[in-house]
Amino acid sequence: MKERKKRLAMLIDLRKCIGCNACSLACKSENDVPLSVWRSWVKRVEKGSYPHSREFFLPILCNNCDNPICVTVCPVNAGIKRPDGIVTIDPHRCIGCRYCMASCPYGVRYINPERKIAEKCYWCHHRVDAGLDPACVDACPTEAMMFGDLNDPGSAIAKAVAENAVQVIKPESGTEPYVFYIDLDIDAVEASQSEEK
Amino acid sequence: MDTQVLYNIFHQEAFGFNIAMYFYLTGLSAGSFILSTLAYGFGMNQYKPLGRVGVILATLLLVIAPFFLLIHIGMPLRAWHLFVYLNWSSPITWGSFLLILYPINCIIYGYFMFKEKMKPTRIFGLIGIPLAIAVHGYTGFILAFGKARALWNTALMPILFLASAIVSGIALMILVVILKDRFFSKEKRIDRDLIMNLGKLLAWMIVFDLFLVGSDLLVLLISHSDAQAAAYLILGGKFSVMFLIIENLLGKIIPFILLAVPKFRTLPTVIAASILVVVGIFFMRYVVVVAGEFIPLL
Repeated sequence: MKERKKRLAMLIDLRKCIGCNACSLACKSENDVPLSVWRSWVKRVEKGSYPHSREFFLPILCNNCDNPICVTVCPVNAGIKRPDGIVTIDPHRCIGCRYCMASCPYGVRYINPERKIAEKCYWCHHRVDAGLDPACVDACPTEAMMFGDLNDPGSAIAKAVAENAVQVIKPESGTEPYVFYIDLDIDAVEASQSEEK
Repeated sequence: MDTQVLYNIFHQEAFGFNIAMYFYLTGLSAGSFILSTLAYGFGMNQYKPLGRVGVILATLLLVIAPFFLLIHIGMPLRAWHLFVYLNWSSPITWGSFLLILYPINCIIYGYFMFKEKMKPTRIFGLIGIPLAIAVHGYTGFILAFGKARALWNTALMPILFLASAIVSGIALMILVVILKDRFFSKEKRIDRDLIMNLGKLLAWMIVFDLFLVGSDLLVLLISHSDAQAAAYLILGGKFSVMFLIIENLLGKIIPFILLAVPKFRTLPTVIAASILVVVGIFFMRYVVVVAGEFIPLL
């Protein structure tokens, strides 16, 4: 039987997320992310008014898309999509033109203020290659985050994605994102700070 | 549903002033070049005085423009990567070659023009037209490929950029020709017929530009929610003064009235209209670039 291609994916169960920001912090220290920029963060949205209200937590990180627009538009081929689906940036190739930042529908790329090149979450591929989970998944105290090979039918993530109603952020962007969410709320995704009307 | 964001991060600005300025200068350059070829490429002899001014402006502006890119990018010393590691799906890769070919062609075209060799001038002028269209059209594709941003992601963007390039090019040319005739020519006399002729041309190009801006806006207002938000941002939000008052009223509608109504069309009003247009188009670039990335994505 032909072996199926590996496709790494992440599943975040928002029913379990308590908004503790352990993932953001683990990411910062694991990847040495400078002050003022984030590779992953937790957006916090309050919906409704007391007593009928709820606070929603939305951990956001790079979706490592299957059709990444950042790789399409990079003028120097610094964006690389690995065979297992992780999208990385060649730090020696990037010229810091910011086109990837401008085109990413998820706003997950930033310019490292010290190195002056584009950086983003790449699911800690240095850890993944060593057989570990990404730092955020490891740090999550409620085990809300799950990481693995979606194309392996026996993996926990493949089973969980099959058995639950899952959603991705902005499926309409056509980038085929691979961070799946359980219990994702559209208002929490779309709520924006600068709504001046 | 009532929602309130309690915590989110701030995102860095991707493009901004430098890129807007780059788009503005390439637009002026492409517009000037196309005007200079009217006489030397297509034989419209009434525009002959524009030939030399046009090619000098086109070359100078296009030599200045890429410096704004070098200021913008984080690693300017790596700019040579653009010519070695090519990605043909990126408009910036197309642009890096256009930014080399177009000024070289401008210089050759200008050289033959000043040597008064008409045949090669005509050939290089005609080669230059697709290059000039491409060197500014590709900047429209840069924005159009930024598919996360509703204000940018429209097929109208390249043609919208070209229309405003020609509008700003004609206006700049009017100003420069007047300055040249008044202070640097032997007779110190302004060629009124030429100026009035250019003024009429400018008026009708403004109409075309307004039509494109209007159709872009109408479709944004009907389209998906992000597009509507972008339309409201420039119509009633933070960028409404720049977009409605400076770019469109002062930069297009008033100059059009000054230029199109025969009673108003005198030398001072043509000068005033041209200044308004040159300033207005800068604000057009700025609004498109900065308002486009103003609304946070998540």
